[in-house]
Amino acid sequence: MAIIELNNLIKHYDVNGLSVPAVRGVNLSIGEGEFAAIAGPSGSGKTTILNLIGGLDKPSEGQVIVEGNNLAHLSQKELSDLRLRKIGFVFQAYNLIPVLTALENVEYVLLLQGIRREDRKTRAASILREVGLEAEINRFPRELSGGQQQRVAVARAIVSEPTIVLADEPTANLDQKTGESLIELMHHLNRTKNITFLFSTHDPMVMDRAERLMHIIDGQIISDVRKHTKTPKPASSRKKR
Amino acid sequence: MNIFFHLCWRNLWRHKRRSLIVISSVAVGVFAMISAMGLLNGIMEQMVDNTINTALGHVSIQAKGFQNSLRSEYSFIPAETLYTAIGRTADSQKGYAPRIKLKGMARSSASSRPVIITGIDPTKERSVSHLAEYIIPSTGSFIERADEDTVLISKNMADALELSPGDNIIIMLQNTRGELTAAGLTIKGLFTTPVENFDRHTIFVGLEKLQALAGFGKKISEISLTLKDRNASSAMKTALMLFVQKAGLEVLTWQEMAPNLVRSIAIVDTMMYVSFFIIFITVIFSIANTLVMAIMERFREIGVMKSIGTEPRMIFFMVVFESMLLGITGLVFGIAAGYTAMKLLSIAGIDLSRYAQTLRAMGSGSIIYPSVRAFDVFMATAIVLITTICAAIIPARKAARIEPVKALSYI
Repeated sequence: MAIIELNNLIKHYDVNGLSVPAVRGVNLSIGEGEFAAIAGPSGSGKTTILNLIGGLDKPSEGQVIVEGNNLAHLSQKELSDLRLRKIGFVFQAYNLIPVLTALENVEYVLLLQGIRREDRKTRAASILREVGLEAEINRFPRELSGGQQQRVAVARAIVSEPTIVLADEPTANLDQKTGESLIELMHHLNRTKNITFLFSTHDPMVMDRAERLMHIIDGQIISDVRKHTKTPKPASSRKKR
Repeated sequence: MNIFFHLCWRNLWRHKRRSLIVISSVAVGVFAMISAMGLLNGIMEQMVDNTINTALGHVSIQAKGFQNSLRSEYSFIPAETLYTAIGRTADSQKGYAPRIKLKGMARSSASSRPVIITGIDPTKERSVSHLAEYIIPSTGSFIERADEDTVLISKNMADALELSPGDNIIIMLQNTRGELTAAGLTIKGLFTTPVENFDRHTIFVGLEKLQALAGFGKKISEISLTLKDRNASSAMKTALMLFVQKAGLEVLTWQEMAPNLVRSIAIVDTMMYVSFFIIFITVIFSIANTLVMAIMERFREIGVMKSIGTEPRMIFFMVVFESMLLGITGLVFGIAAGYTAMKLLSIAGIDLSRYAQTLRAMGSGSIIYPSVRAFDVFMATAIVLITTICAAIIPARKAARIEPVKALSYI
């Protein structure tokens, strides 16, 4: 069953009076529990597609349907609520709230959901334990490594038990080993919690681990490959960052 | 709400110096407000107390119509039941005294002056007014018997009439039959009260002497009561009302007897609050500027907060709450400093002898004991909260309208 549907999706930006196309007629259907990646070079439209699916941006034409909801028909409040309860975001630059501890960053999402304080703390601590940060829960983002911060971001994305996690180049700022570990964590969550993961990436390791890989160039999907087996490449084959 | 509070509070301290400047400006403003109000309250309270202690009393029982006319036809013979009723309120009062007040003239060989002739019971008067204390010791003493042929006049009046203690003064008045009557009385002593205007127009005679002169018999003009708590005057009025109404009398509180004084206090209070509100408008710009800078610095972060499901109204509320925290922190320091300073000065007093003449004309003494009222603290709090909320509205709207997609691509 499709959890995300993109129908003839078009997005162009107005830059100094010129209409610059970012997404050109994308049709896509992503099923529940998929572990999929959209790969392509910088400026190819990967992030724009993720933003459109997350309701952060509006399409110029076409439809975005998430869990049966046409996003064009939702108000700002309903879109906020959809992002809060159904969609988790993981960003390239972690984007944690710097003045909150790891625990509070995760707890914040539950606060928005109106969950009681005791439950919030228990659930946030439990998720952080699950992503391997039990010892770091009271540390501020500046006291954590990049990999640890990204794990907090993953914990924040999944604590509300969303059905979809949109991850925009989540490994781009991480070293090879940390990146692999993070993707392994996400894959584990995908399998155990049946969360649909959709990545944008140009990291070969992420492309390799994705069960479905779509290539995008100049705002158009040029290939869509479903893989049934995963054979991670040796670490030495990845580019060093 | 714990995290939300932490979020807002910690956001303030991202730029300590910037926040401290805003907090300091609020604190200094509140300190100035509390101090100025404390000083004014000290002056106003002295004005009220002095007016009450010279001749007004806290509560007065009198015939309807007497207050504005001081005419002899509004005199009455106090019934025993009235004194019984007054006796029942003994726990709340310092004392009570019967008085006669009549308009008349005071004459010497040199000059004459319109006066209010006040007949007093020397014993009872000591419990309701400070008149005995206002007698200048070197000039004589207080009246001892209610029927003696003596009079107390102010130093001011003695100078104007060119009279000295021991001299005779002629007082003229209209008796109850409408006839003009006069008597020569010996000046027993001179007084100086803190209320200059009172000194210009008031003289004191023994109650029985004045009753005899004016043909009052046993009649009096009023019974003046002084209370233990100035603010209990309305309660006392209510307590006495039932008894006095039966006798065709009325009970007036000091606020009703001195409406101009009450109005003056209200006008001064209002002017001060308006002044402080205007001063705090400048604080609005300081806070708004700080918030706008803070929002620009957190542009991307606010975009992330919105992208993970924070509603615009919560972003709006966050900025408003941060502004309120800045204001409240400054408020706490300002109130603490202002209250402490005024409390210490209220013990020692502020010597304004240099302006004694002006203060006396206002009815105040020259040593001011500042007093901080709960209402002033409430007003300071209200002004700070209103200004900080106003200061936050535009920055908060700006923050709430940040588009996540633009913020996320902001470097």
